[in-house]
Amino acid sequence: MSTPAEKRRPLSLRLRLVLLAAAVLAVSLGLVGLALDTAFHKSSEASLQARMESMVYLMLAATEVQDDGTLLKQNELSDPKLGQPGSGAYARVEGLRNQWLSPSAIGITFPKLTSVSAGDTKFAVPTTDNLWYSLQYGVAWELPDGDLTAVNVLVLTDPQELQQELKAFRGGLSRSLGAAGVILVLAQLLFLTLGLRPLRKITEDIAGIESGSLQQLNDSYPKELEPMVRNLNHLLDTEKANQSRYRNALDSLAHSLKTPLSVIRASLPVDTSAKASAVESSVDDMQHLIATRLHRAAASTRSTMAQGVDVKTQIDRLINSLQRVYSHKLIQMDANIEPELVFYGENRDLLEVLGNLLDNACKYGDGQVRVSANTIDASDPRVGISIEVEDNGPGIAEHAAEQLLQRGVRGDERVEGSGLGLAIVVEIVNAYNGEINIAQSALGGALVKVILRTR
Amino acid sequence: MRILLVEDDISLQDSLAGILREAGYAIDVTGDGIEGLFFGEEYPIDLAIIDLGLPGMSGIEVIRKLREGERRFPILILTARSEWQDKVEGLESGADDYLTKPFHPEELKARVAALIRRSAGISQPVIEFGPYKVDLSSQRVHHNQQEIDLTTYEYKVFEYLLMHPDEVVTKTVLSEHIYAEDADRDSNVIEVFVGRLRRKIDPDGDLNPIETLRGRGYRLNPPTPA
Repeated sequence: MSTPAEKRRPLSLRLRLVLLAAAVLAVSLGLVGLALDTAFHKSSEASLQARMESMVYLMLAATEVQDDGTLLKQNELSDPKLGQPGSGAYARVEGLRNQWLSPSAIGITFPKLTSVSAGDTKFAVPTTDNLWYSLQYGVAWELPDGDLTAVNVLVLTDPQELQQELKAFRGGLSRSLGAAGVILVLAQLLFLTLGLRPLRKITEDIAGIESGSLQQLNDSYPKELEPMVRNLNHLLDTEKANQSRYRNALDSLAHSLKTPLSVIRASLPVDTSAKASAVESSVDDMQHLIATRLHRAAASTRSTMAQGVDVKTQIDRLINSLQRVYSHKLIQMDANIEPELVFYGENRDLLEVLGNLLDNACKYGDGQVRVSANTIDASDPRVGISIEVEDNGPGIAEHAAEQLLQRGVRGDERVEGSGLGLAIVVEIVNAYNGEINIAQSALGGALVKVILRTR
Repeated sequence: MRILLVEDDISLQDSLAGILREAGYAIDVTGDGIEGLFFGEEYPIDLAIIDLGLPGMSGIEVIRKLREGERRFPILILTARSEWQDKVEGLESGADDYLTKPFHPEELKARVAALIRRSAGISQPVIEFGPYKVDLSSQRVHHNQQEIDLTTYEYKVFEYLLMHPDEVVTKTVLSEHIYAEDADRDSNVIEVFVGRLRRKIDPDGDLNPIETLRGRGYRLNPPTPA
């Protein structure tokens, strides 16, 4: 049983391909090496055997059999190897009466081998009993009396020479196979890098969509990836379309509900009888529900692939607008915004939070409003922003602040006398997984601090 | 004071027009953006109330065109879209205030009165003019702590003159700002209103705040105490 925590991330495509290719390469290069080694070994032994056979003939040619069957060494041996002691090649001609040895064989103890019958050749590789390569050759020599006498020629060769040859060959072989292997692995890496480049491009483009610098996967991709790219683009389109359809539906719902509410309200008689005030309070409730619930629904559709919004621009717009609305109050509004601060969420949500907070500050403040905004993580601006709005009004008492914030959480439980704005702010803050605090400002009034997380 | 109301929802249009008329304003009403723009450009409007979602031409477009045409009267936007994105767009296009639907009629009246006051450069809801004290929101006129009972039209005339003190106001201008376009105007009626107003605010005839400039119109002069 494996729990999700134990589950390991699958290896990357690149690493998989490299590892597989390297394994196949190692096995096949190994097999090639083995085959070449075996073949070389065999052919070396075959050529050794041929050399030894020629030595047998040399020995026979140098042998003279006397009439009584005694063997005599007739002349010098033309192969210098047989003439030099310790040369590595030793020969013996053995008759029934005597034997003679090649001059090289001084001090060599010949192994005891069973002699072969006339006409037979026996080649043997070194064993634990016999440390030499041996070639035995049986000949029947006709004596003048017509008898046949058996002559056995034995040639021994030191295996060291062949082993050295083999070692040199193996060294060369492994070097060249190793070089071939390295070249092939490098080539493999190059192929993979080139071959996987479109995938990397797609990854980068998707990151671009995430950061908002791209709207669609627009580049041309290899044929194999086209269906995926098409589907992805389709998905993006659908998401966008769904989102705007959803938003439009909510919007028009809000719109179409509010106008009849205005009519109801405007048609109420001025003298507030009990019935009229019941209708009035129902209208209030409905208005509150529309503003908070519908907004919550719209806020939760915020796009995960939102483009950045310049915070300074939006705050300036709001300040200009509010200066118009509150032109009679002559409010001094100061903005203290981190340079080039960008909000990676929905512009309308940012405007909504700032608009409501600034509006409250203008409404309840006494002519002085200050707004500051900063990133919450300087190393990654996408994490989110913090906003502080303060005024020099009477401020909000601690218990009242709690109630105000609570109200946003439970939109159906209303507290008399508080504006709708803060409730909407709380809805948006919740949708952004953020925080909201009310404190005392250095200006004397309320300080509302809001954190909006975009990651 | 003459108000242009541009609202496409007929029932809301009706009730708002009723409420504003009751409050003593002359109302021009339309449900269409293009017509609203025409009224705003051609009529002597003192304030416009414009719904943002209009057929023909959007409210924002109407406001922008009015401001491009140098029409400076205050504009109050009505919007069902309570979002700041819409409010900011409306205010950026040149509106002075907004009201989100659904609203209390009292709120609308208060905003309208405040905007008219602001446009006349008056920041307080109560104007003191010599011995007169005029509360623009409750529309009450006092003379030395004594309330003067004025009819709607008498009050309208007095209010308009108060907003334009030391200015010559012709009978035509008065009637234009007191009556809606479709009303039957008669400058003699204005004379009657001014006559009655004079008798009510200056029963002894010693203050003479409203001066008649023959052939030109009327001028409100700071009363000289006897």
